[in-house]
Amino acid sequence: MSRTIKILLVKLGLDVHNRGIITVAKILSNAGLEVIYLGNAFPKEIINVAIQEDVDIVGLSSLAGAHITLGREVIREAIKNQVKDKMKFVIGGVFPPTDAKTLINYGFDKVFLTDITSSELVNNIKQLI
Amino acid sequence: MEKTTKQSVLDGIANDLSHQYKTPKTILGSDTPRDLIYTPANPDSDYLRLIGSPGEPPYTRGIYPNMYRGKNFTTRQLSGLGSPEQTNERMRYLLDKGATGVSVLFDLPTIQMYDSDDPYSQGQVGMSGACVDSVEDMKVLFKNIPLDETSISIVTHYPTNTAILFPMFLVMAEEQGIPWSKLTGSVQNDVTMEELVRSGLEYISPKDCFRLQCDNISFINDNLSRWNSITLNGYNLRDFGTDIITESTIAICNGIETLTEMIRRGYTVDEIAPRMSFFFSIANDFFEEVARLRAVRRLWYRIMKHCFKATNPKAMLMRCHTQTSGITLTQKEPFNNIVRSSYQALAAVLGGTSSLHIDSFDEAYSIPTEEASLLSLRTQQILQTETAITDVVDPIGGSYYVEELTDQIEMKILTEVDDIEKAGGYIKSLYTNKLYDKISTYFTQQQIDIYNGKIKIVGKNIYTSDEEPEPIDVFKYDENVEREQCKKLEKLRQTRNNDDVEISLEALAHACKKPNRNILPYSLECAKARCTEGEIYKVIKQAMGLWKPPSFL
Repeated sequence: MSRTIKILLVKLGLDVHNRGIITVAKILSNAGLEVIYLGNAFPKEIINVAIQEDVDIVGLSSLAGAHITLGREVIREAIKNQVKDKMKFVIGGVFPPTDAKTLINYGFDKVFLTDITSSELVNNIKQLI
Repeated sequence: MEKTTKQSVLDGIANDLSHQYKTPKTILGSDTPRDLIYTPANPDSDYLRLIGSPGEPPYTRGIYPNMYRGKNFTTRQLSGLGSPEQTNERMRYLLDKGATGVSVLFDLPTIQMYDSDDPYSQGQVGMSGACVDSVEDMKVLFKNIPLDETSISIVTHYPTNTAILFPMFLVMAEEQGIPWSKLTGSVQNDVTMEELVRSGLEYISPKDCFRLQCDNISFINDNLSRWNSITLNGYNLRDFGTDIITESTIAICNGIETLTEMIRRGYTVDEIAPRMSFFFSIANDFFEEVARLRAVRRLWYRIMKHCFKATNPKAMLMRCHTQTSGITLTQKEPFNNIVRSSYQALAAVLGGTSSLHIDSFDEAYSIPTEEASLLSLRTQQILQTETAITDVVDPIGGSYYVEELTDQIEMKILTEVDDIEKAGGYIKSLYTNKLYDKISTYFTQQQIDIYNGKIKIVGKNIYTSDEEPEPIDVFKYDENVEREQCKKLEKLRQTRNNDDVEISLEALAHACKKPNRNILPYSLECAKARCTEGEIYKVIKQAMGLWKPPSFL
C-alpha cells in the first residue's frame, strides 16, 4: 500500500487571487492527499514550513506576475537549505507558456497552466512521487 | 389617474420630441427611421408597474429617458502596469484613441498596502498594476490627464487603501490648482473586496473595514459633489466564483447596510444614494446577463423607494459599470476570447450599462499588451458607432422571454437579500462560514463541471484541436521598475520633512482609535506630509488590530 502524499500549497507572495489554489486544495484532498494550505507566503517561510512539515511536494500558485521573480527565489531557497532533491516543486497559475519553460529550467518539476483537468492534475501530482 | 395609453407612456419620456426618430446610417442599412423606444400599443397596468418608461420608476428599461442617445456608455478600459510613468502612458494612449474615461489599477504591493521597498513587495513591484507609494507617484500617474474633464475611476479596491490612496489623489489635484468640486469619477471602496474576495497576509476586522468604507463615503459626500463615494462591487466576487444571483445580492446587501449606517451618522438616503454606484461582471449566459441588469435596476429602485423612503429620484437609480468576465477567457485558442468578450459586451449594452470595460483576449496569460487594449477599446467603439444598437432604448424590452427572466431573477435576488438581512445583515455574515462555504462549494463544482464537460467551452473541452498553436505576443514585466521605485522612495524619505510625517501619523493613529471620528481628514494630512502608503497602513492596522477571516477550505 502506498503511503499518503503530503503537499504544501501556497499562494505566492502578495497575489490576491486564491480561487484556483483553493480548488486545487479541495481536488487533491478529495483524491486522498494530505493537504496543508499555507495561504499567502514568501520563499523563506515556504521552505521553512516545508521542512518542518516534512512534505513531499510544494505547490505554488501565482496569477499576477510574480511567478518568475518569487518562483525563482523559492527554488534558490530550497537549494540553499538542501531540500531541492528531497521534495518536488510544482507551480501553477496564469502566465505565458514561454514562462512555463523558464520555470522548468529554474528547477520546477511540473508547471500547470489553466487548461488541465482534475484527473490530469491528480495523476500528474501522484506520478511525481 | 393611471396612465394607460401608448401616448401617455411616451409623454413620460422627458425628451426633445424633435429627436424622437433617428435614422441609422449603416453599411447595407435601409435607412428605416427608429423611434426612441418601442412600447405596446395599449400598455396595461402590469406593463406600467413592472416595465414602464425609461427614466421613470421602476426604471426597468433604463435610468434615463433617452439612454445612449443622450449620453453613450463610457468606454473605460483599465490601465495599470509597471511604473506610474508606464501606466500614465497607457492611459493617455487610450484617451488619445477615443476612450471616454480612464480606470487605473494598482500593483500587488499597492493594493495590499505595502511600500515598494517593503520586503513583502520584493519581486512584485509594478505587477498587474501601477506602483504608487506617495503623492509624488500620483503626480506622475495623472500627468497631462485633464482631471477636470476626464471621468476617472480609481480602482482602490478596499476601504483601507481608499482611505490612504484617495487623499493622495486629492492632494495631487489640489497642488495642481484643480478644485475638488471639479473632479468626476469613482473609487471602489468596498468591504467585500477587502474581506471576502482577497487573499492577503493581514486583515482588519469586517467591522473596522466597514467603518472605513463609511468614513470614505462621508468624507467624499462632504467634500466632492461629483465623485462616486463607493462602487458596490459584484464583479470580483462573481469572477472569484459565485452565480449572478449571489453577485447581485452581495452588492445590494452592502448598499443596504451602508445606507443604514450613513443614516445613523446623520445623513439622508437622498444625499448618499445618488453617489453610490455598482460594478457587475458580464459572463456567458447572454439573456440572463441582460435580464439581471434590468432586474437589479428595478429592485434597487424598490428598495430605495419602499424601504428607505427615498424622495430624490437620483437616489433610486442603479448606475453601474460592467466588465466582461475574466474567468471565461481560455488559454487555448486565445483569439476565441475576442468573440466571447464581444458577446458579453453586447449583453452589457443591451442591459443598459452606464460604463464598460472589455477584457482583452491575452488576459488569459498576463495583463494586456497595448495592442490588445486597443482592440478592446475598438470593440466598444464598434458597438457604439457601427451597430446602431444604441439608437433605441432597451431594444429587447417587451420580449416575453426577457421580461419573464427579469422577474425571476429579481425575485431570486430579493430572496437571497432577505436571507442575509434576516440573519443580521451583510457585515455580520462576514463573521460566519456560511458565505465562504457557499462560494467555495460553487466554484469547486463549476470546475468539476468544466472538467467533466457538463459546462462546454469551445476549444478547451469541446471542438478541441491537437495542433500546437502559434504563440501570441504576451505582455512581459519590466524587472527594472522595482529598483527605480525603491530609489524614488529613498529620495522621498530623505527630502521630506520627517517631523511632519511623524506628527501626522500620530494624529491618524489617535483618530483611528476613536470610533466616531472620521479618519479621512487625518490621512489627508499624512498624504500632504508625503507619508507613504505603507507607513499609513501600518498605523491603521496597529490602531485597529488584525483579524483572521473564516477559511474557504
